[in-house]
Amino acid sequence: MPAILEVENLTKKYGDFEAVKGISFSVEEGEVFGLLGPNGAGKTQTISMLTGVIPPTSGSARIAGHDIKSDMNEVKKINGLVPQDLALYPTLSARANLNFFGRIYGLGGNELKERVEDVLRIVALTDRADQKIDEYSGGMKRRVNIAAGLVHQPQLLFLDEPTVGVDPQSRNHIFESVQRLNRERGMSVVYTSHYMEEVELLCNRVAIIDEGKIIAMDTVKNLIGILGGGMIYIGLEEVDDALLEQLTGLGGVKEAMLVPPPVAPPLAEGEDPEKETEPVTSNPIVKIVAENSQQAVVNVISFLNDQDRPLTSLEILEPNLESVFLHLTGKKLRE
Amino acid sequence: MKSLSIAIKDLQILFKDRGEVIQLFLLPLLFIIVFSGALGALGGDDEVERLTLPVVDLDGGEAAQSLLAGLDTAGGLRTELYEHANAQAQLEANDINRMLVIPADFTSGTEQGEQVELTLISHPNADLQETEAVRLVIAGVAGELSLESQILASLRQMGDMQANAPEEYQIFTTDRVLAQARSQFELSQTRPLIEVIETIPSKEGEREIVQSIGLVAVSGIAVLFVFGTAQVTARSIYDEKKVGSFRRLLAAPMSKSALLSGKMLPNIIVGLIQFIVIFAFGVFGLKWLGLNAPSLGNEPLSVVLVCFVICLCSTAFGIFIAALARTENQIGGIASLLVWGLGMIGGAFIPIAFLDQFLGPVVKVIPQYWANRALSSLMLRDLGLADVTTEIAALLGFTVLFFLIGLWRFDFD
Ligand SMILES: Nc1ncnc2c1ncn2[C@@H]1O[C@H](COP(=O)(O)OP(=O)(O)O)[C@@H](O)[C@H]1O
Ligand SMILES: [Mg+2]
Repeated sequence: MPAILEVENLTKKYGDFEAVKGISFSVEEGEVFGLLGPNGAGKTQTISMLTGVIPPTSGSARIAGHDIKSDMNEVKKINGLVPQDLALYPTLSARANLNFFGRIYGLGGNELKERVEDVLRIVALTDRADQKIDEYSGGMKRRVNIAAGLVHQPQLLFLDEPTVGVDPQSRNHIFESVQRLNRERGMSVVYTSHYMEEVELLCNRVAIIDEGKIIAMDTVKNLIGILGGGMIYIGLEEVDDALLEQLTGLGGVKEAMLVPPPVAPPLAEGEDPEKETEPVTSNPIVKIVAENSQQAVVNVISFLNDQDRPLTSLEILEPNLESVFLHLTGKKLRE
Repeated sequence: MKSLSIAIKDLQILFKDRGEVIQLFLLPLLFIIVFSGALGALGGDDEVERLTLPVVDLDGGEAAQSLLAGLDTAGGLRTELYEHANAQAQLEANDINRMLVIPADFTSGTEQGEQVELTLISHPNADLQETEAVRLVIAGVAGELSLESQILASLRQMGDMQANAPEEYQIFTTDRVLAQARSQFELSQTRPLIEVIETIPSKEGEREIVQSIGLVAVSGIAVLFVFGTAQVTARSIYDEKKVGSFRRLLAAPMSKSALLSGKMLPNIIVGLIQFIVIFAFGVFGLKWLGLNAPSLGNEPLSVVLVCFVICLCSTAFGIFIAALARTENQIGGIASLLVWGLGMIGGAFIPIAFLDQFLGPVVKVIPQYWANRALSSLMLRDLGLADVTTEIAALLGFTVLFFLIGLWRFDFD
């Protein structure tokens, strides 16, 4: 399959701050590609560069063979953008909004009319199309927001967190629409989110992005495979290297390691650096990556029992992208 | 084409906003009603009171007599002769509001076709609109008299020439006489022999008061509110950015200049509609109601041209504000200062002559000042396009300046 999107070492700097730190990935035609990362990871910045909203600081990208620097006007016709914000005119009706967004892509006359009716059907809002956006529910607004990115029939659709603030029903509807657009119309999709369930459900491949960098990229299955059978966190009173080695040797355990103690949060401006900070829980935590979590839990607990080491805490995590993210960054995707 | 789509969309949004429509189109009319004194006039007596005009006749000759007769029959005025010293004393005490001085050389001067000056002196407290009305009556009567004496003077000239050169008798045909009369008539239109000078004694120096507040208000308010539309443009750009639709526009296959043109076009269109609405009411509506109203002057097309230039300047102003203001409050602040504050200082309700006197050269940095100067020259002083080239150049200069700064500082992200 030829790539519809190839990104090479894309960066975006604001003064000394690097919002995107040299990102490379590619998306194949007909693929739904996920960009998963917490707020502030650089997802929107990346999409904005690829859609011509902001210029990249360095690096390059090609979309359907057109360079985004030299050939942006062609690129823009291929791209569809659904921004993270509800980028609609609140006092106009859904239909007036869609008509307008069609026109700025050069559509007009009957073609525009048909396109608008088509996208209204896709997001199931034909009946209420003449109502003002202001009067819609959050979920309906989100659906119009998606429709507005579809009017000109893009080959490559960028969906930037399209389900934020949406009721479960609209959310399901949005998923179905994306899947149908992809399967029935062959639309390639770049989908950003900080909800791992969405990405797991919709995407073939995922890039996990944090602090402007891609920290892992693979199919959802392979990414979860990093964790094998899941993860177990245990709190102990004291831990030494010998204990970690012994734990690693147990049946069902792939790896055992000490979780680095939480870094003290950066001082707020003007705060006295000498000031005593509240001590965070002092007990060391051991992270165990399991090959088979049930077997690992049983073995680890009976081993610690035999050694007469009391457990201070125990947490078992399913193998999913959330725990992959935690495993790779030591941070949670969402607070 | 895409610019036009943006403009149409923006106009749709604008006209759906009732508050905006009222501010842009109805508020200025309300201001005009207040400032042209229509409210007072509407509530007042139907019977027209004849105004008494104290006259000091230093001439006492034939021409002075016909001027006085003319003033009494013109309607609205009743002349009353005063001793010079007496009149001056009473005017100083504000027992009388104004007086007309006929100079000693009035009769001899007009007979010889020389320019003579009638002086209308008014007390600083005198009602400006009343003074203006009096001045108009005097100017009208003086104009007729001026024409009459000019024609008489030229006939006398021809008679003299004839007496000196009887052999050329045949040259003075009826055609020659008519042609001479016509040229004198035209001369009297542009350079009347009798000029009416208005003065307010207590003010520093003697100064011509061009117009009264009521007349200035129509073009002044139009200028004020058309520049006010710049705020709408700035806010519309701000709203697009806040809502995020600006991203969609940037992601669409369209150049940034097309995008900006699309955002500017509505300002020009709205400005022109404002001029049409405000002038329709202020020029024709007021007249139709029988109120004191300005006209479009001798060159309505020049007025249209100046209005268009003002709309351009207001638009560039909008981009300028949008580029400088980062928050909604800043837009409000900058607009209040530049649009409403400077707009008032720039002559919304004040005759230009006052501005020049009170503020001096400072007013020259206010674009609205130039707009007001251009419009009052054309509409109130009946001047032509050639007389307002400086004003037009100044407005275009501001337009280019605002636009360049606006583009330079404009944040597309
Ligand atoms: N105009 C800007 N100037 C400076 N920093 C910015 C600007 N826009 C975004 N950023 C920063 O870039 C980082 C990435 O932002 P973004 O791409 O919006 O994250 P995400 O979409 O993954 O939540 C954030 O730290 C954000 O604060
Ligand atoms: Mg984002």
